[in-house]
Amino acid sequence: MWNLFVSIFINVLLWIYDIIGQNFGVAIILFTILIRIVTWPLNAQQMKGAKAMQDLQNDKEWQAIQKKYAKDREKLAQEQMRLYRERGINPFGSCLPTLIQFPILIALYQSIIRALAATPLDLLKLSQSINPNFLDVANLIPLNSKFLWMNLGQPEPYYILAIIVALTTYIQSKLTLPPATNPNDQSAAMGQSMAITMPLMLGWFALTFPSGLSVYFITSNLLGIVQYAAQGKANWSNLLPKGLRKE
Amino acid sequence: MRKKLLLLTLVLFSALLLSACGGTVRGTTWAGLAADETTAYLADLSLVYGVNLKDGAEVWRFSDPDDNKAQFYATPVITSDGLIVVGSAGGKHILYALNPRDLITNGDFKNPAIEWTFTGAGGAWVAAPLVVENKLFAPNADGNLYILDLSDGQSQKQPIATIELGGRLWAQPVTDGKRVYVTSLDHRVHAVNLADYTIAWQADIAAAIPGAPALGPDGNLYVGSLASKLERFNPETGAHQSVLDAEYWLWSTPVLDGSTLYFGDLKGNFYSFDAVNSKLNWSIQPDGAITANAILQNDHLLLATESGNLYAIGKDGKTLWFETVGGKIYTTPVVAGDLILVAPLETDFYLAALDSNGRQVWTFPAKK
Repeated sequence: MWNLFVSIFINVLLWIYDIIGQNFGVAIILFTILIRIVTWPLNAQQMKGAKAMQDLQNDKEWQAIQKKYAKDREKLAQEQMRLYRERGINPFGSCLPTLIQFPILIALYQSIIRALAATPLDLLKLSQSINPNFLDVANLIPLNSKFLWMNLGQPEPYYILAIIVALTTYIQSKLTLPPATNPNDQSAAMGQSMAITMPLMLGWFALTFPSGLSVYFITSNLLGIVQYAAQGKANWSNLLPKGLRKE
Repeated sequence: MRKKLLLLTLVLFSALLLSACGGTVRGTTWAGLAADETTAYLADLSLVYGVNLKDGAEVWRFSDPDDNKAQFYATPVITSDGLIVVGSAGGKHILYALNPRDLITNGDFKNPAIEWTFTGAGGAWVAAPLVVENKLFAPNADGNLYILDLSDGQSQKQPIATIELGGRLWAQPVTDGKRVYVTSLDHRVHAVNLADYTIAWQADIAAAIPGAPALGPDGNLYVGSLASKLERFNPETGAHQSVLDAEYWLWSTPVLDGSTLYFGDLKGNFYSFDAVNSKLNWSIQPDGAITANAILQNDHLLLATESGNLYAIGKDGKTLWFETVGGKIYTTPVVAGDLILVAPLETDFYLAALDSNGRQVWTFPAKK
C-alpha cells in the first residue's frame, strides 16, 4: 500500500519532469503546488478548526468551566467535551490535516531519493515504482539533479536552504497565530511554542536530508503564506516585535 | 489536552519518519563481493571484511577512522600482489589499497594496513576498477575514468591520466587488450585506447547502462540497457545494433559460454542468446528481479534472484536445483573453490557459503 502511494508520487513527479524539459527542481515546485491544491480543503479545514478553537478560548462559558473545575481534571475534560459537542467543534479538526501532511512529506522524500537514484538500490527501486506504459523512464534516467547551485539528491552544503526553510516556516507559523487575547489561552501558548520548534526541526531536516526536500518545504511554506493571505487570515502584526504590535 | 495532542503529533511524525525512511534494508545498496583461494572480501555498509573461507570467521575488517560517512559497496578487486582495492561512497570518496598480509591489532579486531589511497575522485565509487597489467582503470560516479600506476610506489596516488567520459560510471570496464570499454548511466558506451589513453569512440544508445559490457565469442561487445535491449557493438568502430528485445530493463552483465550469452532482466526473465546466429535459444522466469550476473559452473549456471533464491540452471534452461538463501540477492555470487558465496540484503547475516549442491556451509556472522 505504502509502495503504491510512493509509486504514484514518483510517476507524477517524473511526468512533470518530462513535460517541463527535465528540470527536477522545477518539477518538485510544480508537484508541491499540485499537492497544495489537492490538500487545499484539508488546509482550509485546519484553519477553520484552529479559528474555532481560538474563539472557544475566549468564550465566557469555556473560561468559567476552566475556573470552576481547575482542580478536577476529569470533570474539566468532560465539560470541555460537552462544549465541543454543543458548539460543533472537532478538537482534532486542526490537527488531523497536519498529520496527513506527514505521510506526504515522507512519500516525497522517498520519491526524490528513488528518482535521483544515487545508488544501485535506489535505481532498482525506481524500476519497480514506475509504470513503463505511462513514462519512457529509461530515456529520462539519469535525472538531472542540478538545480540552481544545488544537487537535489544531496543536503545543501552552505546552510542557505536550511536558513530559508527555518525562516519561511517561522513566518508561516507566526502568520497563522491569532492574537492572544486571553492570558490563560493554552492554544496560543502552544502555538508560540510550535512557532519556535517547527522552524528548528524543519531547518534541521534541511541540513540533513536531500535539498530536494528543502525545495518542497520552502515552496509549501510560501504557498501556505499566500493561502492565508488570500483568505485574509494572515496575522501580519505577529511578525513585528511585541512592543510595536497593535493588541 | 493540547499538549498531549502536540506530543502525539510529534511522536507519530517521528515514528513515521523512522519507519518509512529507515526501512528494514541493511545499507544504502547491495554489498560488493570478491574472493581468492582463502578469503572472501565483502564491502558492506561502513566496513570491508576479510572472511576465512574455511569457517566463515572474520579475519580482518576495515573502516576509515577519518571518514565516518564512508560506505562501501563497490566490488573489491584483488591485485596480482595481493592488495585489495576498494572504493568508498558517501563520504570523501577514497579509493583504498589494503594489505591483508599486514594486519594491525586494534582491540578485538584486526585491521589491514593501507598501502595507498587515491583521494582525487569527486563522486562515489560504485564500480570495481579494472587491472590491466600494472595499471588500474577506475571509473567513478563523477564521470571520470582515472588511470593509476600500480607500480609507482606512491602512497598517495596521482592519476597518470584522467579521462572525462561524463555521466555516472557504475560498472567495471572490460578490455580486449586493445581498448578498455566503459559504460555510463548517461546512455553512452566509451572505448579508450590502451596504448595512449585516448578515446577511440563513443556511442549513444538512448538509455542508461548500469551494468558492465561483455565481450562476445565473435569479438563483439554486448551491452544491456534500461531500454530493455541487448546491443551489439563493433569494438573497432562503435557501430551498434539492437539484437534482442528483453521484457524489461537489463542490468546484469551477460556471461559467455561458447557462442551463448546468458543474462537476466529486472522482470526476472533469464535469457539464453546465441550470439553467433543472433537468436534467442530460450528464456525462463525463475522469480524476482535479476541484477546479479549468472555464473558458469561446470555444466550449469548459477543464478541469484531478488527473491533470495539461488538457482542451478542447466544450459537447456531446466532448473536443476534451487536453494533459498534468504533476504534479497542483488550481488553477483562468487565461486571460491568448492564454495558458492552469496551476499544477500535484508537478512541477519551478510554472507553465506553454500556447497556445490546449494547446502549452506556457514554464514557470516555465524547464526546464533
